[in-house]
Amino acid sequence: MGTTIAIDAMGGDRAPGEIVAGALLAVEELGIDALLVGREEIVREHLPGGDTPPGVKLLDAREVIAMDDDPARSVRTRKDASVVRCANAVRDGDASAMVSAGNTGAAMAAALLRLGRIRGVARPAIAVPIPVPGDHHQLLVDAGATVDATADWLVQFARMGRAYAQLRYGLAEATVGLLSNGEEAGKGDELRKQAAALLEAVPGYVGNVEGRDFMHSGRADVIVTDGFTGNVVLKTIEGALRSLAGLVFTVLESTPETRDASKVVTPLLLDAANVFDPDLTGGGLLLGVNGVCVISHGSSSARAIVCAAKVALDAVEGNAVDRIKEAVVDAG
Amino acid sequence: MPAETHVARSPLGPEEVFALVRERLAEILEIDESRITRESRFTEDLDADSLALIELVEVLEEEIGERTVGFSVDDEDLDDLHTVGDAVDYVIARLEQAGS
Repeated sequence: MGTTIAIDAMGGDRAPGEIVAGALLAVEELGIDALLVGREEIVREHLPGGDTPPGVKLLDAREVIAMDDDPARSVRTRKDASVVRCANAVRDGDASAMVSAGNTGAAMAAALLRLGRIRGVARPAIAVPIPVPGDHHQLLVDAGATVDATADWLVQFARMGRAYAQLRYGLAEATVGLLSNGEEAGKGDELRKQAAALLEAVPGYVGNVEGRDFMHSGRADVIVTDGFTGNVVLKTIEGALRSLAGLVFTVLESTPETRDASKVVTPLLLDAANVFDPDLTGGGLLLGVNGVCVISHGSSSARAIVCAAKVALDAVEGNAVDRIKEAVVDAG
Repeated sequence: MPAETHVARSPLGPEEVFALVRERLAEILEIDESRITRESRFTEDLDADSLALIELVEVLEEEIGERTVGFSVDDEDLDDLHTVGDAVDYVIARLEQAGS
């Protein structure tokens, strides 16, 4: 029997079809057991013959929290929502981890309210992997869990992110940078200035980093910011990459010569661009809650769910929660 | 007294409710209890956001619910709770309703 991962079958723009397909693939490829959580009759429509294959279990949950619902209040009022049931399953020991591609705030609130916070952590943060060509990913912490952060919270994000980066990428000593509007000490708004002073006590802290330090190796393994800024950064990177890809393919189609060249170059470019595919980078681990919760992006495909399940499995097997607890406790 | 509203242990008085709210809020916000008074405003003085308040409500419902069956908080009432004292008074009022 494999590690059981509760998967929110109703969460995400492409739910339940892609989510269920991803869960089935994850069972096959990763050897996990999937606990599919959602409206049973709807989930069954997406299972081969309507039956649960070996390694797949179903947990009926009648309600759904939509992308535009108020997260925390929805978690309180819709106790039979799929994402809430996922968190309950982890809390009650029926699953070792949960994965959701639904409303990020609801997944965060469900995990926080049902699994509890790690002592010493005021607010959770999402650690999202940012691709770095030719190197391991960087972790962006926080990518959107806590939009209004204090300087103390940014320090907690840094300690948690560093511990997780070391586990996820096998780093001996991960480096941590504070996202600011200049790399010189003293740059930034009041929050950044206060945080910079406090971060001096965090091992691996390298000072301020800038937006241009994303996707480059060598500057910082973990880049810390508040959830509002982090989410803007994430969407900016996605938009810029999409725009750049459009530009490249427009040029390749612009003349007979470039069209000829494109026959050779395009397959190579597409292969190389896999590194930027958000479906393949894996989900973001929610740092600071007392259990494993992986949040995948809203338009997750089946492949994205497999990658998110792998992140969850690695977090369980690597005792990520304990490692994060140690990092926070050591600081206290 | 109906069975579903019986008080399993001694009823909570105002001071006990305040102590419980202060203790749990301090844990949630990771701050020292001494910073929390009845006059403390959740947002302006304690930096407590809506999620922190919901955490507080959940833990109070769980803990007080063990002593007073039927105790619950209406989400729509949360908007009216601006200070710790508001929350304490609200809990006491709900306890009286649950016990009546």
